Amino acid sequence: MSAVAKTERKAPRLIGIRELVLLAIIIALLSFFIFSGREKTIWAIVFEFSIFAIITLSLNLETGFTGIPQFGRVAAVITGAFAVGALPGRLMAYIIGEPWGAEYANAVFNYRIVPVINELLASNIFYSIGFLLLCLFTAAVFGAAIGWLISRPAIRLKEAYLGISLLAFGDFFMWVGHNWNIMVGGSTPINVPDPFRIFGGDRFMAAVLVLFFIAIVIYIYLERLTKSPFGRNLKMIRDNEVSASAAGLDVVKVRTRSLVIGSAIAAMGGGLYVIYTGSIGAIGFQKLTFTFWPWAYMMLGGIGSNFGVLMGVMLLVILKTMIIVFRYDWFAFMVNVGIDPMWLEFTLMGAVIVLVILFVPHGLVPEKVEPVLPEERVKRVLAKRQLEKTSEPVS
Amino acid sequence: MSELLIAKNVTKAFEGLVAVNKANIVVKENTFTMLIGPNGSGKTTLINCCTGILKPTAGNVYFNGTDITGWKPHQIYGVGFVRSFQIPLPFVGLTVLDNVLGAMRNPGEMPFKATSKRAWIEEEEKNMERAMEILAKVGLSERWDMPSSSLGAAQLKLLEVAKGLSSGAKMIALDEPIGGVDPASAHEILSHVAELKKEGLTFFVVEHRIDIAAPFADYVYAMDLGTIISEGTPDKVLNDPKVIEVYLGKGVGSTCSE
Repeated sequence: MSAVAKTERKAPRLIGIRELVLLAIIIALLSFFIFSGREKTIWAIVFEFSIFAIITLSLNLETGFTGIPQFGRVAAVITGAFAVGALPGRLMAYIIGEPWGAEYANAVFNYRIVPVINELLASNIFYSIGFLLLCLFTAAVFGAAIGWLISRPAIRLKEAYLGISLLAFGDFFMWVGHNWNIMVGGSTPINVPDPFRIFGGDRFMAAVLVLFFIAIVIYIYLERLTKSPFGRNLKMIRDNEVSASAAGLDVVKVRTRSLVIGSAIAAMGGGLYVIYTGSIGAIGFQKLTFTFWPWAYMMLGGIGSNFGVLMGVMLLVILKTMIIVFRYDWFAFMVNVGIDPMWLEFTLMGAVIVLVILFVPHGLVPEKVEPVLPEERVKRVLAKRQLEKTSEPVS
Repeated sequence: MSELLIAKNVTKAFEGLVAVNKANIVVKENTFTMLIGPNGSGKTTLINCCTGILKPTAGNVYFNGTDITGWKPHQIYGVGFVRSFQIPLPFVGLTVLDNVLGAMRNPGEMPFKATSKRAWIEEEEKNMERAMEILAKVGLSERWDMPSSSLGAAQLKLLEVAKGLSSGAKMIALDEPIGGVDPASAHEILSHVAELKKEGLTFFVVEHRIDIAAPFADYVYAMDLGTIISEGTPDKVLNDPKVIEVYLGKGVGSTCSE
């Protein structure tokens, strides 16, 4: 009897109350910018949302789904940035017959070569699209390679040691980039060819829309990847490594795959970041921005929940931007008690982490425990089975 | 009946402590073989050595004629030998059904195929039907869609058995399947196991509640301080003075037999 009652539960909603409330809050906050006459800020928010959604989703794949304490997210991001800063531009320089060796990374030559490349890209929409795809491809390949390389020594370590090793890798890459002049200019930032130049005056808006589109595509990809037997394997390893191994999983192999995919995606995020800003300086890739902020976004949104991550990134990016825009209007009084509003956004991240751990440890949109296939589908298979059973003669 | 699992002179030492000392065990096909012994006698360590969780210091383990000494757990799984754990280790973020499905293989486990549902849906549905059959066998079919974290102690033990079964293994090692479970549920679990034995499976069961488990056993090994001290049919082993001695203390056995 109870079985009948159980199967007749109400159908799961496509989108829950919680998600709707969050969306409403986000829309309200965004419209606040419009009403206060700062529509342009929204473009900046969408840009930051897109980049960090990509990076945080990749972090969520490794940490939320696989249980790898990825404290070195910046390593993959910076690899993507270096790859995009160093390689596609050099290829273009080679094609048009400009110096492409060590000189390319020298600011004196670079500031002359890149505008020439930009002119060529802006002359034909297919050049622009091709160059953008080439950048994404380069970033993904190098990101995947670095993910694999990092995973070799690190994957066999246990939680805390693995976390520290990954953290160290992150800083290591930044300092290599900062000091190896002939790659991306070392301490002098160099320019990166701009595939969005073709849009002329609307360049920034077009770039933001493209980035947003790529972020959504990556979200859909990861959603499908994690709602599959592969995603189930990741969760098995996260929940219990020994048990997953006894269930026939090669733990090292599956964790490596997760690291490779996650790093490739994070590298694409880093690559898009330098394409958008049009220049690359290694020192700009700090672990604060590209490791710890994604962690805060992920923790607020919900570890192990892709949609939650999107919400978390959006909400925090808006709040951060609000503080940056309005800090001297709203928080100027804080100077009186010895706090410079200059640093409020950093305080915000720390406060968010503490508050999330205290009050919503599973995040705003927690991970749901649900079958890999939609429930209706499972029920249909079960019903079929039931039918076969009843059609047999009853003894 | 062929010999499915053979452990030859298996020794496992942790630094100076010899937990298992030259243990010889043979598990014949389609039997319910039991390994008994008091706490700390090395039963779980022996199972761990056989299933690849630990590497034996010396000795060899053969399964179905293959030398599996020192293999990784997932490789041993591949030849049809799986195990359950003394403390149930469910995948808490998954439903009961997915816990069982997780032990089955599917092309969708490859990242490149995972994103296109068409590549794995058929296999998944086939697996799902089998998983539901298995859940029905262990009496969990009504709870298929619940988070595994919501199950009780006895149900978690049954889920461990179901996970073992789902792999399609020839032999399942159960580490204390009724440990910490009330007698009624314990009997239920073992009845399920006995049913499954009829279907041709082999069970190697570590247990120290011999009173409940003995009626189900075909062959019993008794262990103490890392060595096998007695083996044979349940009656023979349970009346062996050496076994009575390790369970009840010196002198009791001799008074009983007089």
